[in-house]
Amino acid sequence: MENKIRQLRKGVLELAILGSLYHESHYGYSLIKSISGERDIEITEGTIYPILGRLAKEELVRSEWMESRQGPPRKYYSLTDKGKKAFELLHAEFAKLVRMVGDSSAAPEKKPEPLEGERIDMKKESDDGE
Amino acid sequence: MGNNYSDSVEKIVNNYLKRLKDKLRGLPETDQSDLVKEIQSHIYESFVNDPSEDEIERIFNVLDRLGEPAEVISARMPDTMVQVGKKKKLPLLILIGILIGLFGIPLGLGGIALLFGIIVTVAALVFTYYVLCFSLIVGGWVGMIGSVVNIFAPDFLDKYDIVVMNISGDPTLDGFLGIGISLVCAVLGVILLLLGRHVWRGFTYLINLPFEKIRERRQRRHLQQASQ
Repeated sequence: MENKIRQLRKGVLELAILGSLYHESHYGYSLIKSISGERDIEITEGTIYPILGRLAKEELVRSEWMESRQGPPRKYYSLTDKGKKAFELLHAEFAKLVRMVGDSSAAPEKKPEPLEGERIDMKKESDDGE
Repeated sequence: MGNNYSDSVEKIVNNYLKRLKDKLRGLPETDQSDLVKEIQSHIYESFVNDPSEDEIERIFNVLDRLGEPAEVISARMPDTMVQVGKKKKLPLLILIGILIGLFGIPLGLGGIALLFGIIVTVAALVFTYYVLCFSLIVGGWVGMIGSVVNIFAPDFLDKYDIVVMNISGDPTLDGFLGIGISLVCAVLGVILLLLGRHVWRGFTYLINLPFEKIRERRQRRHLQQASQ
């Protein structure tokens, strides 16, 4: 079961990364903060780097090193045009899937909110990573 | 590089980075240094933002959340994982080679003799099996022909002192009995011959079983590492 949860999370994580970068560019650590926010989602933070690497290879994101006011330089990521289109498509598809799961599972006690997943790209403004 | 770690924290970070670099071996140089720099940056940002008081606790929190080096690089380079696996195996083989070289001549000879014995035994079993098959088939046919001759021309065989079948004393009855028994032998031979391949497959399957299990387990472990 643990494994299933991890797999599900990984798939959604990629979408969340794209969603977060859709609005503004991030470096690794700020991206994690922007995705997890104050929510209690356990992610092994290191896993975003392989995903970012793959997205860069697919030319969905581009990256750029920038000096930081303190500490070592940061590698900033932002979406390419291709990445923006990809996110819009994926996001629409994901919303459909979430609705599908919501309709079909009909959990007995509490009704799942069908549009829960669509909020995933809404970034918490409080974490601007500085 | 502007990071103000204390000596002990620096040591822990460097140890982590060293393990990361080890995992990255085999990648292009620029990719390696890029990823290491990125992780350095991550560790720094995470360290600065961690709420813990004690800095040792803080750095361990940071590395805990970051995950093991294998997780940081996995999925990006599944090929490297395989390469690392291969590289690790090689020294073991060399070690075995050296051990055999040093102590192996007496032990090695025994081993070779044992191996030879096993091979000869298996070969003999296989040989016996097929000889049995063929003798059943050939014997069956010869018996059938003899029996037929016995029915129609009992005197012909008597001339050469060949007794095909002598149970009841009646040549016709003996002939049919002979045909029946021969037929059973021949069919049995053919069946055994056809089964031979399956018996062999079953045998090799049984021998392979423990090795297969080990291989499977190792593969699963690789996959797990790669998919985390």
